[in-house]
Amino acid sequence: MFQRLRLRQQPLKVAPDPEELSVGQLIGDYALPISIRGINGLPADAKRRIYRALIPASLLTRANINPITWNGLDGNPQVILAAEVDKGVVNLAIKDAPDASDVFFNVELADNAFNGIDLNLLLLNDPASPRFRTDYDDEGKPTYFGTVRRNLAEDERAMRAGLAPGQIRAGLSASQLFFQQLDTFLSFLSHHAVTLEPLTYASAWVFERRGFAYMRGHKLMDDIQREFQPGGKLHAALDGSTPFRQPDQWRTVRGRAWAIQDGILSALDTRWNDVRMVKQVGRHAGVNTFPDAIY
Amino acid sequence: MSDKLRITRAAQLETLAVFRDFIDAACQRRGIDSATCYDLKLAMDEACTNVITHGYAGMNPGSLILDLEFAPQQVVVTITDFGHPFEPYEPDAPDARAGLEDRDTGGFGLFFIYKTMDHVDYQTTEEGNRLILTKKLNWTVPA
Repeated sequence: MFQRLRLRQQPLKVAPDPEELSVGQLIGDYALPISIRGINGLPADAKRRIYRALIPASLLTRANINPITWNGLDGNPQVILAAEVDKGVVNLAIKDAPDASDVFFNVELADNAFNGIDLNLLLLNDPASPRFRTDYDDEGKPTYFGTVRRNLAEDERAMRAGLAPGQIRAGLSASQLFFQQLDTFLSFLSHHAVTLEPLTYASAWVFERRGFAYMRGHKLMDDIQREFQPGGKLHAALDGSTPFRQPDQWRTVRGRAWAIQDGILSALDTRWNDVRMVKQVGRHAGVNTFPDAIY
Repeated sequence: MSDKLRITRAAQLETLAVFRDFIDAACQRRGIDSATCYDLKLAMDEACTNVITHGYAGMNPGSLILDLEFAPQQVVVTITDFGHPFEPYEPDAPDARAGLEDRDTGGFGLFFIYKTMDHVDYQTTEEGNRLILTKKLNWTVPA
């Protein structure tokens, strides 16, 4: 092992943190990263032009939304952009109809403390699929994707319908398309990576397939894989004590995810927490913590 | 295009054997001599042990990515992690003749890496911490 190490105590500054983006910066050093906050400081039309590149055009056209104007067939806007001046956060949401109560696409990016970009949120829902009220408990309080509270009856219905924890509808099967688009968008901003915290085991597994590695939690994923095998502690904890702990659930990503949502990791004296992932732009990390997985 | 291979595993000591086997198999397939292969494994082992022990200290370990890039004149080993960054620098040779009670703990890791590799580079970026080790190949042309 090494005798002497010089650990960095401060994050490496890779770019200035501009109040707003200037033309001078755009025509200056093209390798300097541009922050979300910098873009948000631009005039409305300019930032809209830039953030348009974050949405795969085919997602819009399949919902009959003009990819340039963001309007539907009736001329009403169906894409909601929230990108406040002085904030390092951008949120883009798409409805499949102007009067729809839910969005079917929602992405949120934010500047982080290391001058990088965090993917705070990604929702890709099939608006034509049945809706489950897993996002509110039976008292009408938000569950925040099941992280704060749960609606057990709806969770069970959603699980039986093939959804993963945190979902209100079936997925749109568009994550590959989105991450290709995100790679291009991040390259445009001169960023080399994006980081995120997966809400659930199922989403971590999806992000692995999309090329993410783990900043924290790779060992946890390996432990989960090992302990769900016959003879393992998690396998033994699938004891049928709740609808989310049925014996066969170790075989699938979703089955494991529901059991983890139900707190089964207490069998390992841990919980689903502090998992952080990173994707290098243009590269696939090749992580596969559940070989030959069935989703 | 050069010949590239990649393997990613959790940053834990059990991964070292997997990485050693990965380098072994890659070298054998390309007819690289056993001494060079040994040096590559030694340098990788020392560097990864350091990341596992120090880089990910105090956290649930993340990933350790091993990239091998084979070119006609050299092999480049890149080790990427996402733990605490550190800066390796060329150390003085540790005194192997000193009595055990007089020796500093460790001290041979970086020394071995610098002795066995032809070039050592370290980068910390938003993509992670990268240790890039270059080993030149000394092919002998058969008579």
